[in-house]
Amino acid sequence: MLERRSWLGYGWALSIAMACTVIAWALSPPFNLVNVVMVYMLGVVFMALRHERGAAVLTAMLCIATFDYLFVPPRGSFTVEDAQYLFTFLIMVVVALTISHLVRSVRAQARAQAALALEAETERIRNALLASISHDLRTPLAVIVGASSSLVESGERFDASERQALARSVYEQSRDISERVVKILEMTRLEAGGLAIERDWCPPSDIAHAAVTRLRERMASHRLIVSVPDDLPLIRVDAGLIEQALSNLLENAAKHTPPGTVVNLRMQPRDRELLVSVEDFGGALKHADVDRIFAKFSRVKSEGGTGGVGLGLAICRAIVQLHGGRAWAENLSGGATAFRFVLPLEEPPTPPVEATADTRDD
Amino acid sequence: MTELHPTLLLVEDEPEIRHFLKTSLSAQGYRIVESATGRRGTIDAASHKPDLAIVDLGLPDMDGVAVIRRIREWSPMPIVVLSARVHERGKLEAFDAGADDYVTKPFGISELVARIRVGLRHATRPSTGQHIVELEAARIDLERRNVLRNGVEIRLTPLEFRLIATLARHMGMVVTHKQLLREVWGPTHEEHTHYLRIYIKQLRDKLEIDPSQPRHFITELGVGYRLEAKE
Repeated sequence: MLERRSWLGYGWALSIAMACTVIAWALSPPFNLVNVVMVYMLGVVFMALRHERGAAVLTAMLCIATFDYLFVPPRGSFTVEDAQYLFTFLIMVVVALTISHLVRSVRAQARAQAALALEAETERIRNALLASISHDLRTPLAVIVGASSSLVESGERFDASERQALARSVYEQSRDISERVVKILEMTRLEAGGLAIERDWCPPSDIAHAAVTRLRERMASHRLIVSVPDDLPLIRVDAGLIEQALSNLLENAAKHTPPGTVVNLRMQPRDRELLVSVEDFGGALKHADVDRIFAKFSRVKSEGGTGGVGLGLAICRAIVQLHGGRAWAENLSGGATAFRFVLPLEEPPTPPVEATADTRDD
Repeated sequence: MTELHPTLLLVEDEPEIRHFLKTSLSAQGYRIVESATGRRGTIDAASHKPDLAIVDLGLPDMDGVAVIRRIREWSPMPIVVLSARVHERGKLEAFDAGADDYVTKPFGISELVARIRVGLRHATRPSTGQHIVELEAARIDLERRNVLRNGVEIRLTPLEFRLIATLARHMGMVVTHKQLLREVWGPTHEEHTHYLRIYIKQLRDKLEIDPSQPRHFITELGVGYRLEAKE
């Protein structure tokens, strides 16, 4: 890569020297040599600004050689009659070196500034993450500490059903924390690029089934309608990750819409892609939200909606993008909102056809 | 083996998790041998002769997969793996090393007990014994190679039969894609998971009451399949 760039620079050096010579040749009868050399100087300055030092110095050398050979008396030879021209040549090389050096340090400064800005952005994200983690974990932790301390300190004073209720809330809240922590870890790994995807052929219906099974308890408050034909074409994906992406969409729908409302899960092929769509009736998204809802930490305020780290949709998008797909949100007619992603469909190889065995032969 | 109080070996480095498992599993009538390290686990597996081993994959001193491999060198005891969701690859390695089943942390105790029961049931029954598979709507005789669905005979292909037979040998337990492909299609087809997808779908279509809500041919996403008999 670097090699190619420097070769390119040398190519430019040659072209610029030639272009300067052509212009100088055209100007030289009326203009005197002091002005002709300026044309060459312009070429050297241009190269020093735009290219590496090596290419700039080469341009200076080529310009000096052609200027000397073609214009400096005696013409047609490299000898120089007037020693003043040697000074001119020296200036040309010094200009090439000086400008190259300046450009180089300006570039380095710009890079340092960009790195600083990136660091500040990372810091901002880290702070936002910490803030939202502590916010999201505080409530379930308070419940766990409170309920379990009641059980430890005065468990015998409760009757069986009360004990059961306390234990259950500890159980539910810790599951909640666990899910959130897994999400944070996953996002961190996705960000760091440390997630290797292992693709394999998988029926989309298996993925839908696994997600629905995993979320059965949490989706119980909603009416989930699944329309996933089991004869959809196979997709070549990391099934575990895609299931995670889909689960995040379903959880998002359950979290941000009132209990009792319908959530639709649909999958269908369209234009060599598989469309996965989760539609809810929690009210239309605002125009701005449609665009940024999949961004990290975006959490659209909704009444009665419960919080979340706001990573679910970002994780979904990151996973889908790793698979060469796209994820987005859109408002549908009738107040429904769709959270969707598409995955590319490939042609699966077909196994050899096998005839039904005549079972009585064996 | 003590029929009434089977002994479980628990190889887990986190004392809190050992404590909670010991309390919960003892309440279910199991005797528990605790090993805090992998090395200790391989020794305890030999000296205590447990009926089943529960092995955590994230041990500090040696890889849980290595513990499984060590136990498998001399013992067919059922092994249930405790894995974290971040250790997906480790889970597959554990199966290759000889693990029989897994639960993902965090898990409810009922989930683990269900896996332990299936494991112990297998240990007490010779693996070739069962040749009748009873499903909700179908009855498969693997020996005579006939299938009745609601009393009517239906036909399966030889590969479909072999697939059911392989799953049935591990009834209720996970069988990995690799294992199924190797045993049904042969070792040169280990990569052809799409064969498996197609045949599982065919079996669901022929044998499940509702193929879109399978009750018997259960997908373990990213791992393999599990055949569950009629309850």
